[in-house]
Amino acid sequence: MGQIRHQAMIKHGGFEVVAACDTHTDPNAEIPVVTDPMRVYDYDPDVIFCCVPNNMIPDVVCEALDRGKHVFSEKPPGRNSDDVRKMQAAEARNPALVLKFGFNHRFHDAIEDAKRLIDAGTMGDLYFMRGVYGKAGGANYAQNWRNDPAKSGGGILIDQGIHMLDLFLMFASDFPNVQSVVQRKFWTDVPVEDNAFALMRNDNGVVASLHSSATQWQHKFTLELYARGGFISVNGILSASGTYGTEVLNVALNRLDKDGNPIPNPESQEIRYTVDRSWDKEITEFYEAVVNGAPVKCGTSQQALDVMLLVERIYAADPAWSEQRTAAIAGRW
Amino acid sequence: MVTGMQTPVFIDDLPDSSAVGSRKSERYRQVRNRALAEMLLDEAVTWHERPCPACGQDRASSRNFSQALMPFQRCSACNTIYAARVPDQRHLDQERLQMLSDLPPEPADSAKSTREFEFVSILNWLRLTEARHGKPLNTVAEYRFSSQAPSLPQTVERIGSTRDWTFLPLSDSGSANFGDLRDHLQASSPDAVLLYGEMDRIAEPAQLLRVVRANLPRGSLVFIATSCADGLEYEILGADSPSFVPLDRLNIFSVGGFSALVEELGYKAIEISTPGRLDAVILQKYFTEIEGSDVPFWSGFFRSANKDRLHDLQILLQRSLRSGVMRFVLET
Repeated sequence: MGQIRHQAMIKHGGFEVVAACDTHTDPNAEIPVVTDPMRVYDYDPDVIFCCVPNNMIPDVVCEALDRGKHVFSEKPPGRNSDDVRKMQAAEARNPALVLKFGFNHRFHDAIEDAKRLIDAGTMGDLYFMRGVYGKAGGANYAQNWRNDPAKSGGGILIDQGIHMLDLFLMFASDFPNVQSVVQRKFWTDVPVEDNAFALMRNDNGVVASLHSSATQWQHKFTLELYARGGFISVNGILSASGTYGTEVLNVALNRLDKDGNPIPNPESQEIRYTVDRSWDKEITEFYEAVVNGAPVKCGTSQQALDVMLLVERIYAADPAWSEQRTAAIAGRW
Repeated sequence: MVTGMQTPVFIDDLPDSSAVGSRKSERYRQVRNRALAEMLLDEAVTWHERPCPACGQDRASSRNFSQALMPFQRCSACNTIYAARVPDQRHLDQERLQMLSDLPPEPADSAKSTREFEFVSILNWLRLTEARHGKPLNTVAEYRFSSQAPSLPQTVERIGSTRDWTFLPLSDSGSANFGDLRDHLQASSPDAVLLYGEMDRIAEPAQLLRVVRANLPRGSLVFIATSCADGLEYEILGADSPSFVPLDRLNIFSVGGFSALVEELGYKAIEISTPGRLDAVILQKYFTEIEGSDVPFWSGFFRSANKDRLHDLQILLQRSLRSGVMRFVLET
């Protein structure tokens, strides 16, 4: 992720990357690379990009803020809501600084267009949302820190499914009512979930269903929004791996019969997006916030807290899984 | 806020070839060709030669498309098909008014519902473009399409649009140099103008576009639907295309040609699509009904294609901007 952010900063042109921190040095690097995170401050940066395992995020973010640095941090925002609150406290101590989290899916062109369509009122009241986001595990799944609950806080839900939850929260307000099934089916020797199913309802009656999967052998991103006047779907999401397909938005407005009832299968418009501009737009928003004082609209600490609370609600709504998870985080699994 | 240019695909149930027969009946073609022949013989009609109406390429540099009744060229630079000699607009309008008065009333029931679906598609096109681009279109002026589609205003009213529509049908007075449209735009400054099927039929399409842009505030939207020369039907069948009715198709723009024209006139294209639904079934009907109509690959393809394959092809044509009709959304 650090390299992706680095490229986006170069492309933006408003950043000068003065140093990087990694687990190993690189003699061919064009910028100084250190292995001790504290050494980056020797270069007196204005901003810190935090691309570290989840358990390290709160300390890195708080340290940077307290040293007077603006911070852009990857998602998830730590391992749990307590981590987010800790970072919010540091943010409150440094109100002149910018803290932004990298929920970049909000910046995808198809998602932005879907948001415009909903916000314009053209689709009418939102009824329900369905989201499926899944991938086929990953290399060294069992060894990856992402699947060590002490470091990550959870499995596929907190790692990838959190993006879909963030989008749900963008389209509708919080979901206090949650039912879920969280399970481990394929990587049974790994103490995190490889599938999470959640059915949620907010106080306005909007229902959202999520399936977050690490056993989605064919990578998939699908977000559907059904409203009174029609529907929107986004299939595929442009990503660094390129494995989720072209980003395609379909939108349709209902055709009504003479009695005012919707006629099935209305004409839909399909719009395809082939260039991933999300990284660039996200970097631009951060730049504008730091340099020009523009507000952060996507990836605020409050949004980070909201989505982390929803993650926790989903884990907690499956009593059997909640018990296992608590034990796993405590190292008793 | 207007984002980058988009190329929507319009996905809907596609008709089978039985829907094509009634669309442009042979009798209609004969009537239109007779009208053209009468105009050619009418000494009061003024004709003028012209280069490509899209990119301005000289006629001598273009390829012959048809010599039946009047010469049509296919521009070698931008692929636009165009009448190389066109009558003056006043006579064109008079002839069209006569034709419209001779038309039978709009059919009822199933054919009417098909027409209404077309109108709903137009209205939804405006609604979705408005929402995506964040440009409220509270007032819309429609120019001349309601002459071809007299039930459009009733459909707009019945569906309950929240915007104010003004319909400016073709009239026998006040339309010289599109003065009726100019006067309305100056008086009302609508947020959008709809030109549906009009660009095909006029002698000087650039002049109409100039009038629109000169009399609208910057940032207004212009919705244009017209025939598309890049369509597979025209590419395979050329002047034998069932959709080619000379008097109704003085200009069959290509996507590239029309893009160049509107850019030249100062517009910004924000949406381009070719939402045709009939290319595949028209071609299937042609190759199955016309004896000896053999074209390598295509005749066999269409004779053996089932509905699924035709559907897939039609969507592919749309995605490739290769259908026989096109829509542009322009920003002034």
